[in-house]
Amino acid sequence: MPFLLSTPRKVRRVKSTQFFRESCICYPSSFGLPESIFAAACSRSGQRVLHVDSRSYYGGNWASFSFSGLLSWIKEYQENSDIVIESSTWQEQILENEEAIALSKKNKTIKNVEVFCYASQNFQEDIEETGALQKNHASVTSANFSEAADPNCLPTEDESLSTLSCEVPAEQTSSETEIALEVNDAEETGEKGSYSDDKTSEEETSENVSTAEDTTEQPKKNRIAYSQIIKEGRRFNIDLVSKLLYSRGLLIDLLIKSNVSRYAEFKNITRILAFREGRVEQVPCSRADVFNNKQLTVIEKRMLMKFLTFCMEYEKHPDEYKAYEKITFSEFLKTQKLTPNLQYFVLHSIAMTSETTSSTIDGLKATKNFLHCLGRYGNTPFLFPLYGQGELPQCFCRMCAVFGGIYCLRHSVQCLVVEKESRKCKAIIDQFGQRINSKHFLVEDSYFSENTCSHVQYRQISRAVLITDRSVLKPDSDQQISILTVPLEEPKTFVVRVIELCSSTMTCMKGTYLVHLTCTSFKTAKEDLEPVVQKLFIPYTEMEIENEDIEKPRILWALYFNMRDSSEVSRDCYNDLPPNIYVCSGPDCGLGNDNAVKQAEKLFQQIFPNEDFCPAPPNPEDIVLDEDSLQPEAAESSAMPEANTETPKGSTSLGNPEKPSE
Amino acid sequence: MAIRELKVCLLGDTGVGKSSIVCRFVQDHFDHNISPTIGASFMTKTVPCGNELHKFLIWDTAGQERFHSLAPMYYRGSAAAVIVYDITKQDSFHTLKKWVKELKEHGPENIVMAIAGNKCDLSDIREVPLKDAKDYAESIGAVVVETSAKHAINIEELFQGISRQIPPLDPLEKGNNGAICMHGGKPPAQARRCC
Repeated sequence: MPFLLSTPRKVRRVKSTQFFRESCICYPSSFGLPESIFAAACSRSGQRVLHVDSRSYYGGNWASFSFSGLLSWIKEYQENSDIVIESSTWQEQILENEEAIALSKKNKTIKNVEVFCYASQNFQEDIEETGALQKNHASVTSANFSEAADPNCLPTEDESLSTLSCEVPAEQTSSETEIALEVNDAEETGEKGSYSDDKTSEEETSENVSTAEDTTEQPKKNRIAYSQIIKEGRRFNIDLVSKLLYSRGLLIDLLIKSNVSRYAEFKNITRILAFREGRVEQVPCSRADVFNNKQLTVIEKRMLMKFLTFCMEYEKHPDEYKAYEKITFSEFLKTQKLTPNLQYFVLHSIAMTSETTSSTIDGLKATKNFLHCLGRYGNTPFLFPLYGQGELPQCFCRMCAVFGGIYCLRHSVQCLVVEKESRKCKAIIDQFGQRINSKHFLVEDSYFSENTCSHVQYRQISRAVLITDRSVLKPDSDQQISILTVPLEEPKTFVVRVIELCSSTMTCMKGTYLVHLTCTSFKTAKEDLEPVVQKLFIPYTEMEIENEDIEKPRILWALYFNMRDSSEVSRDCYNDLPPNIYVCSGPDCGLGNDNAVKQAEKLFQQIFPNEDFCPAPPNPEDIVLDEDSLQPEAAESSAMPEANTETPKGSTSLGNPEKPSE
Repeated sequence: MAIRELKVCLLGDTGVGKSSIVCRFVQDHFDHNISPTIGASFMTKTVPCGNELHKFLIWDTAGQERFHSLAPMYYRGSAAAVIVYDITKQDSFHTLKKWVKELKEHGPENIVMAIAGNKCDLSDIREVPLKDAKDYAESIGAVVVETSAKHAINIEELFQGISRQIPPLDPLEKGNNGAICMHGGKPPAQARRCC
């Protein structure tokens, strides 16, 4: 049965139909990072790749969303609806010698979603994101917040922070509402004005600019209403996964090697912070930082430099740490000539570990890795992609598509078809009951039904996303990207990773900061992270606070959720998996992305042992169309060039040897 | 003369001739069955404009538009977008409006929009009157032109039109915000070919 989409204008794509049927690697999977890297590698080496996902966005659990996009994501999980798609049609597709492995329709990887809004939110039902398409988002929002007051989200009495959560200051500036309504009108009247916000841009710009300036210069005057967050919702790119790139990590190397880096831009993390004795302070980590630091004494500076120099090449001095291999890193630090201050910096901010989890060797490795990554792109070891981590899977997907990979969002897969005798997977059957054959199948673990995963044990990641009005450490310049590691008092094995992004990372609107908190789950996300949130932030109020010095950033909006961490699950845990079905795990809790790259590379080597993993594509200038490679049955120009069933290999050979683009 | 790199993204239904327009513009070449989408991340061409040289980095959809699965990153940092329809297909003009909407949602704010009614050499089987396109383009403040990639009609003009709409370089925005481009930040993976 040929694969045809429901819309009639696609019927003429006969070739792509064949393409589908003969697809070599098929992805009933989200477009997460490991899947996307693997897809890019396969497509690059000439395999035909079909990537399908029932979601409407790229990235799966690695995605990033605009504010309105995030609100719909939240709604999806709060509603917890069982979408049952009729499954009558597919049985007839299964032959007698075959059986089906049903795939899960429902994503169970996200739990305990809780939202709190502290910014003034009157009239929010009238407000719409500028340029937003789905008009129901704004109304969804208001519904959400009434839900937030529901029993499961209702703050308990001892949580002083949350008791303020759902109270809305009565006042609301009428001008803001008017602007928002006008935007609405512009949007309603359709495609008038090159941008729907053009109409209001003058008043708006002046207002926004002043707000933005206020934040840095006169924080007290700064007032941000919920309506403004909605209106500027497209300025947010909120990641579900909060990670950074180690500047000498596997992902950076892969981005450069494959030239996928040209699809993205990055910023250096500017500050490494520590939270100690109720205060946030900057950690000196490079040589220059150490010498410029004003808090450290000269003796401390020498101690720290000496210790860091040792860590850089600790393997060469086994006598200095061999005796301490059996103890924890924090115990080891106590044996070194370091003040408690320095021990804290090294343990939590540089090795980024907790007191009890890391052994001496692990701690030394982490410290060395940190130091090793310094200086490649800047003063800290980390990079962050502009527009968020969610860009990276999209970049690899584009690479895959450029080499002929086919991408289908909003397209779900009902089951995998397995031949009984050979125990090999032959095909998938999609939502329309159409059968697509393939040789290899890569499935993200969230797609497996309970039958397949009955023996699998998962860990959980606790996540919080906050929109705040200023930085946790008053910046000397207003655009800082900071990482802060906060150890939990109880349990002592846990550390909470806090990443604070400024608006120039293109992840939040001017005058706000986007803060991501991440830790391995112990309880629910809110229970795990709220103690840290309370230490660092206060809920947003219109009230002015007397003492500027002790003033903490104020939370305008907060989201908590748990995400399943399947990174440690071995393939053998799944029941009855045919050998040509490969499994990709969701995001792990770690800071870097090495795990995703390793997964993709390992899989690729396993299936195509003789192929190069993501070599650089030819430069655009070097691609010369080769007349001989054209197909004889010349179609009209309306024929889809992408439907050309020739393997991309043909076209790669057309390029001259690669040269780096300027 | 200063060279300015301008990212241009192409939008429009499959089969309207997006890739052919680029191919004509960049290589002055037309094939009935080209497959340049495969293997090309983007094509470049530099044209003079006033005191500047505009280096167009033209991104093609890589087929991701086919099942309406274009990734938002496709639009990032675009200075201009060329939205293409087929004058012989009313449908493609209808969906043009949908592409414009999508562009407004995901694209940068001050993006220059240009509408190209392609295949104007086939005007005897035309379904979309030029006036409809002009009216619509005016309503969204876009440049509009009917083109034929096959007969090289108005292709240069299309991009000249874009060049003229590009606002002069804002001195404050020079140096792209301190963002890191990896090619500059490290020794390149392979040695640069010298020629």
